[in-house]
Amino acid sequence: MSDDVGLGGGPAADEEDETLMAELRAAAGRADPVPDEAVVAARAAFAWRTMDAELASLAYDSLLDDRPLAGVRGVATPRLLTFQAAGLTLEVEAVGEGQERRLLGQLVPPQPGHIEVRHRGGRLTVEADGMGRFAAAGLRPGPVSLRCDPATTGPVYTDWFLA
Amino acid sequence: MGEDESGVAALVESARAGESQAWDDLVARFGGRVWAVCRAYNLSRADADDVFQVVWMRLVNSLDSIREPDRLGAWLATTTRHEALRVLRKAGRQIPVGDDAGLDRPDESAPGPDARLLRTEREAALWAALEELSPDCQRLLRVMLADPPPSYQEVSLALGMPVGSIGPTRGRCLNHLRSKLRGINGGVAGSS
Repeated sequence: MSDDVGLGGGPAADEEDETLMAELRAAAGRADPVPDEAVVAARAAFAWRTMDAELASLAYDSLLDDRPLAGVRGVATPRLLTFQAAGLTLEVEAVGEGQERRLLGQLVPPQPGHIEVRHRGGRLTVEADGMGRFAAAGLRPGPVSLRCDPATTGPVYTDWFLA
Repeated sequence: MGEDESGVAALVESARAGESQAWDDLVARFGGRVWAVCRAYNLSRADADDVFQVVWMRLVNSLDSIREPDRLGAWLATTTRHEALRVLRKAGRQIPVGDDAGLDRPDESAPGPDARLLRTEREAALWAALEELSPDCQRLLRVMLADPPPSYQEVSLALGMPVGSIGPTRGRCLNHLRSKLRGINGGVAGSS
């Protein structure tokens, strides 16, 4: 157990560590490579590059920004996300289990508008009412993005999130 | 860690200009690191696929706003960690926020790496020893075993641990791995 004693251990020990890491890296490359399908999906992401609309970036996500309180695990709370662009904010509540996701949303400032929802199953279009409220159902789990053509500003699209 | 930073910045510039080849090169160059972070958080194959995909989709949107293109690795490490934590939270699993405290139990049902793909007895023994380590050590080493390897700063951002603790922790984990390895080899020798 001599190698459990002391810190570091000098250049020889460093070299041993590097050799071991190289061996482990080779093993990881064989046992757990990036799957081909994942690479294909990552490459295909480039096709989503959007130049004709303003990005509304994710400003708040209850999943990440609210630390769950001890003891309340299991209590279903809706996931809330906020996307912000210069002239428009989209507030989105994402719910659903299994193979279906639903969104409830609110445009701020409130206004009507066409909203296109992009998800793994394709695209669907919903309308925000005069109060800026909208709803979309039948989404498949996976990456989701909303594109909105509001009356008050140019087109806006939200960053992707996993619904 | 030997990253050709100006090369990365040039690829980001080309991708911004719409060159898909540059994008493919970025995926090839950083894909292993992003995948390793997904795996370090013990995501199932399906969740790891989702996180891997959404990280790249978000990068497409952020190409124009990443202020220091040569720090792309840091952006990817942070974004992947956040997406992985979201998935774990949604599933209600214990999460190492911090990330050194409170470890989640490995998801036993998750189809993990496939040890059958290992070629030699030595590799199989190394992998078996790795899987016997504490979750902390497995998480750290899995991130550091990406090819090409991440910088310490990327490791720090991917796991939410201080840069200064990475080297000493790695050293301890490798020592644990060596002693596990002796146990495994001893067992093999004893049974033959």
